[in-house]
Amino acid sequence: MLRVFLTAAVAVVIAATAWVFWDRARGPTATPIAGFSAPFVFGRFAVPPDNPLTQEAFALGRHLFYDPSLSGNNQVSCATCHMQALAFTDGLAKSPALSGGELEFSSMSLINLLWGQERFFWDGRATSLEAQALMPIQHPDEMDQDLDALITELQASRDYRRMFRKAYGEVSAENVARALSTFMRMLISSDSKYDRFLRGEVRLTAQEEHGRKLFMAHPDTKVSLRGGNCIDCHSQFLTSGFRDALDGFSNNGLDSDDDLPDGLMAVTGNPAHKGFFKVPTLRNIAVTAPYMHDGRFETLEEVMDHYNDGIVVSDTLSPLILEADNAPEAGQGTVGLRMTPDEVQSIIAFLNTLTDEGFLTNTQFSNPFEGDG
Amino acid sequence: MKFKLLAQSVLFGAGLLMVGLTPAQSQTREESQGMVLLRGLPTLDTDHSIAIVELDPESDQFGELLSEVEQPDIQHPLHHLYYSPNGRLYSTGLDPSCSLAEIGLSRDSSGTPVIEGFTCLDTQGQIVGEDIMWATSNGQEYMFVTFMGGTGGDDGGSVGVFDTQTNEVVKIIEARKSQVGEGEPYIMYPHGISAFDDRMVVTSTIHPDMTTGVGNVLTIIDLNTLEPIQNIVVENEKPLDFPSSPVEVLFARPDMHADIEPAILANTMFGFETWKIPYDADSKTFGEAEVIYSGVANETAVPLEFYGTEDELFISHGLPGVVKRYELAALPELVSSGPDIVADPGAHHMIFFTSASGRDLIAVQNNLLNLGNAADDDPTDVDFIADLNAHTITIHDLETGERIAEVNFKERYNKGVDNVEGLFGSGFVHHH
Repeated sequence: MLRVFLTAAVAVVIAATAWVFWDRARGPTATPIAGFSAPFVFGRFAVPPDNPLTQEAFALGRHLFYDPSLSGNNQVSCATCHMQALAFTDGLAKSPALSGGELEFSSMSLINLLWGQERFFWDGRATSLEAQALMPIQHPDEMDQDLDALITELQASRDYRRMFRKAYGEVSAENVARALSTFMRMLISSDSKYDRFLRGEVRLTAQEEHGRKLFMAHPDTKVSLRGGNCIDCHSQFLTSGFRDALDGFSNNGLDSDDDLPDGLMAVTGNPAHKGFFKVPTLRNIAVTAPYMHDGRFETLEEVMDHYNDGIVVSDTLSPLILEADNAPEAGQGTVGLRMTPDEVQSIIAFLNTLTDEGFLTNTQFSNPFEGDG
Repeated sequence: MKFKLLAQSVLFGAGLLMVGLTPAQSQTREESQGMVLLRGLPTLDTDHSIAIVELDPESDQFGELLSEVEQPDIQHPLHHLYYSPNGRLYSTGLDPSCSLAEIGLSRDSSGTPVIEGFTCLDTQGQIVGEDIMWATSNGQEYMFVTFMGGTGGDDGGSVGVFDTQTNEVVKIIEARKSQVGEGEPYIMYPHGISAFDDRMVVTSTIHPDMTTGVGNVLTIIDLNTLEPIQNIVVENEKPLDFPSSPVEVLFARPDMHADIEPAILANTMFGFETWKIPYDADSKTFGEAEVIYSGVANETAVPLEFYGTEDELFISHGLPGVVKRYELAALPELVSSGPDIVADPGAHHMIFFTSASGRDLIAVQNNLLNLGNAADDDPTDVDFIADLNAHTITIHDLETGERIAEVNFKERYNKGVDNVEGLFGSGFVHHH
């Protein structure tokens, strides 16, 4: 009897050991994202062939995104400045810098990054999401982490070794970038009231519909067309900047030539790009205050005041903004849309339809280290 | 007519102007992909289907069906595709059980467009759906659909007015010739549709059975009241000894080009002519109808579709299978802007796009209605129409008209091709 028991025990140990070795030796598992479906109207998107969307990469990326061990002091995670409830912004004009003071730009929301402009950061300094992902980690005022030290830390974690193995094979900085990119690519917001309107599921209120029409129209007094001119920079469905070339960057009249920051020019070296910043998505805009690249406007009303009567002319100001005027005959000596208060409120009402509560509370995007994540 | 807006605001998705593409971007370009409605050919035992086909001759996938959903349970196929201003895809249909449908589109995790299926909509008995356009009546936007069979009968025909959100019928605009008084406006076998300000125009084409009756008028509808208010006869020569059968119509208007004086243009399928009816927007009156293009004089027949680009108007002629091109700014006069694009018999619908290398192209679908080809023993009762089915989409250089390539759907897929539309049509405004 004892011999039988021992034989069985040895067999179990051998089998378990073999499974462990086999599991560690086998290549990554690429499980397609279950039930993935994106709105057709959002348009084409491309995922890098060497980083397809998989469940394993998403799970790893989600853990990394929320893990403060990605920072040098083990206190700052990506989520510190990108909070889900705030559409992955932080509610601050500029995030605090590790060395004191504040960072140069406002924290950008992370929404629908599969579409729109393929340069990242306000000034477009990253040409892929994978390139973008490692920059804040290494930035001395953001997460201040040495990549070699980070990889050593991650390799010391059995959980991470397992997740990296399943997703990509090995623990490496490249695969950190890939996993974070996959997580960010999956942050799809497509169930706002506007989305449901587009699918024919709900109606907008009269004020929201008025705002939608104004949003989509470039004013033309010759044919009595009033417009908010928003769509000239924020595309119809995604409400983000345009994808092709550098169309997704613009100077929207915030500063004079004397005060104009470099913006995209710092990346391209082209003086025509001075003061150009990335046109952000307006999805969930109601929860991402303060606004603009430097967070100078506290409310959507302030934003609309800027476009309505506060445009500052500079050499690189967008001509689409410069010429958009609903009442050019008014001759007020200022540049702006000159819409009525009702029209302004209608556009804000439409912007509020872009809030996607399901996205802001989706547990798949939440902190996996909390609750049952 | 399908008229491409110039406005930058609507060029976002279709990406008609592709510049500076990186190799990665080139792999994901979609404007060369066509949404097509394919008809199963009875002698070849194939089913009708909706499909996405690659039409860029420079692509390794040229001519391939990238996605396809078949319709084995529907006797007659879907007919014409239209995108709503909100990006929803609709199709009219020839089968009484599915005269109007909404087509579901999505994308998988690689970004590949996927046809999910289609839902037949309740038309409240209106059959043989033809053209769709979205227009406003008293400040409210509706989807207007012409039903050539209307609610049935020898002089049927209706314009269905649908709620743009729920797809429910709001009103059926119907006025049978046999029921209205002498000289009162009627609607019969409507097919083409177009509108300007508060005036809509539909054509009176032909009874769906192709034998019971043929029309020869345009019907003007007051968009304020949604009632027909006037008929305009467009008939002159009768080369086939049939009534003229006006088919597609375009309300040329200044928002297409600032220089355009408003006027209706109408093609007569059996008169082989293009007509012009001037419109005075101030008095809301139409001038005298006149022929501005004679197919008999120019040796062309069966003029069909109006399509527009930024600066040109294109009109397809089923025989001999050519697309003629005109200066957009000169409308409503037809001033040639270049030599004919020589396609195939049945030249009909078309799309415009750029190749991967940036070459401007036009793809022409060459089937009148694919009723069959007598030479192949496909069923048809109208031999004249049977000659108008090449079963091809031909691809041409847009500037020179040079024929670059073709996809023969009958040879490759044992099917005919009834319609083509750009894969992502939100960059277009459709006005038949």
